[in-house]
Order: sequence, then C-alpha cells, then structure tokens
Amino acid sequence: MNRTRNSSDELELTRIDHILASEEPLIPSSGFLESVMESVREEAAAPPPIPFPWKRAIPAVLLTAGIFGWAAFELIRLGLPAAGSLAAAGSASLALPHFSAAAVQPFEPAGWVALALGTSLLSWLLARRLAGRSGLL
Amino acid sequence: MNAAISAEEDLADVSRVLAGDAQAFEGIVRRWQGPLVNMAWRYCRDRGRAEELAQEAFLRAWRGLGQWRRESSFSTWLFALAANVFRSELRRFPTVTVPLETAPEPSGPATQHNTLSKGLSHGAVRRAVLALPQRYREPVVLFYFHEMDLAAAARTMGLPEGTMKARLSRARALLRRRFPHLEAEHSEMEFETLTTGKEA
Repeated sequence: MNRTRNSSDELELTRIDHILASEEPLIPSSGFLESVMESVREEAAAPPPIPFPWKRAIPAVLLTAGIFGWAAFELIRLGLPAAGSLAAAGSASLALPHFSAAAVQPFEPAGWVALALGTSLLSWLLARRLAGRSGLL
Repeated sequence: MNAAISAEEDLADVSRVLAGDAQAFEGIVRRWQGPLVNMAWRYCRDRGRAEELAQEAFLRAWRGLGQWRRESSFSTWLFALAANVFRSELRRFPTVTVPLETAPEPSGPATQHNTLSKGLSHGAVRRAVLALPQRYREPVVLFYFHEMDLAAAARTMGLPEGTMKARLSRARALLRRRFPHLEAEHSEMEFETLTTGKEA
C-alpha cells in the first residue's frame, strides 16, 4: 500500500481510496451461522434427485423415432407420384405433395387413427410403468 | 487468524464434509461468515440482503464443495464463487441505485471536521460506487474488499490483472470527477503534510 500519488504505473492513492478502504467491518447477526447450518442440514437430509431413467426410456425413444420415420417415409412415398404427375402436366408451380388415390381410400384413415391411438396407449402405459417403478405413483 | 492455520482447517473441514459429515461445514461458515457478509454488503449496501446473499453463497459452496480442485486456496475459490452468486442474484433482483450524476454530493471542506457530516460524506462516496456502470462497479468493490490487493481482486473476478487495473482506473476517474471536493481536500491535506513536515 506504499503508493505515491503521481506515480504513473501505480494506482493513485486518493481521498476516495481512504474512504473506500477504511470501512467499518459488518458483524454478521447472531443467528446467521445457525440459519446457514439449518439450510445445509435440510439439503443434506433431502433425498438425492431422481435421475432420468435413460435405460428404460431408450426403447420408447427408438419406437417413437421408428414410427415417425415410417410415417415420413409413407408420406413421401405417397406424395411423390402425385408431385411427379403434376410436374409432368406442366404445372410445376403447384407441385405441392398430394396423396395418390390409394391414400384416400375409405378404410385408410381408420388405419391411421387406430395406429395413432395405439401409439398413444402404448406411450401412456410405458410412462405409467416407469413412473410406478420410480415411486412417483 | 493465521492464514496457514485457516487453510489447514479449511482443508480438514472440506475433507470431512466430502466424507459425509455435514456438521463439519459449520467450521467453514464460522471462519468465513464475516468476510462473505462484508463482501455482500459492499455489493448491495443492505444488511438484510447482504446476509441473504452470503447465505446463498454458502449453500452454493456446500453443493459445489467437490468442485474445489485445491489448485488455488479455499478462500480464492470461495470468494470467486461468492462473487458469481452476488453478481447473478443482483442481476435478477437489482438494488435500487441512483445514476452517478445524481448521487448526493458530500459536504464541502468547511464542514469536514464535523464527525457527522464526515460520516455522511463517506456514506455518499460508498453509495456512489453502486451507481457506477456494472463493468466498473465490481472491480472497485472487490479491490477495496481485498484491502487494495489488485491480484486478489483479479483472482476473485477471474480477470487478468491488467484488465482489472484498467477498469479500476476508469472507475476511480469517474468517482473523482463526481466528487471534486474530495480531491481538493486531499490536495490540501497533502500540502499541509508537506508544509508541516518542512517546518518540523
């Protein structure tokens, strides 16, 4: 702290330094230590956080990814012939994917609905099973 | 307290806590509660808030005790962690500050001999630190908290010493511009010291 006022490299020691450096220390309140230790004891007594069950979730993730992949593949497969026929007709500007006639057969939507319901039921059952094993239910 | 003894005690307590003895953390809190509350006080100038911030810092230290790599001293790690906690907490819920230009001017040299007005002017300068731009405020807070040890303040902030020094110089220039009376008073004090020294 042996600084001179006009030294160029050293920081100047001014009246402001005296004021800011000469502050009376604050004494923590009497209950501070106990309050901190109480919080620490609470944390120490709390059960550790439940880790995400990745091992059990992986099959569900793979199944979902497979279903989405398959759905995307089907959409593209059904949409491409329609797009090709439109392009061939010279209306390339309207080349939005359209389903072929096979996609709009009367029983086809029912199949999709059944598949969606089945997937939802499966994921609900899986979620219940996982939650039940981890003690949440 | 002897720093070497404190360091040994810190090390022993940390080892006990990591081995599962939560009660050993009390020694750490007992030794560091004063510095941490004072550090928090300099960040916010509110006693109640300072204790809340210090408590939060101790809790974070408790949770992250295993992350102390023992390459630096425990105090360096603890102060750096506390500075991060104070910075983020005060960013979420800032203290009420006034712009530096409108910070109250301390009373002039004529009334400086009055203890009360001196206390008030000192308080004004200390509060004005909180009105500094964020970039300059923390270097000032930590520099004076570490008793003007630039290296310790830089370690706590995790900044190179050169950067810390530059920010500190800028902050002090801002404060000097805001409180020219204190500069004038200081020059007078220096002049008096020189003249009395010569007479003696």
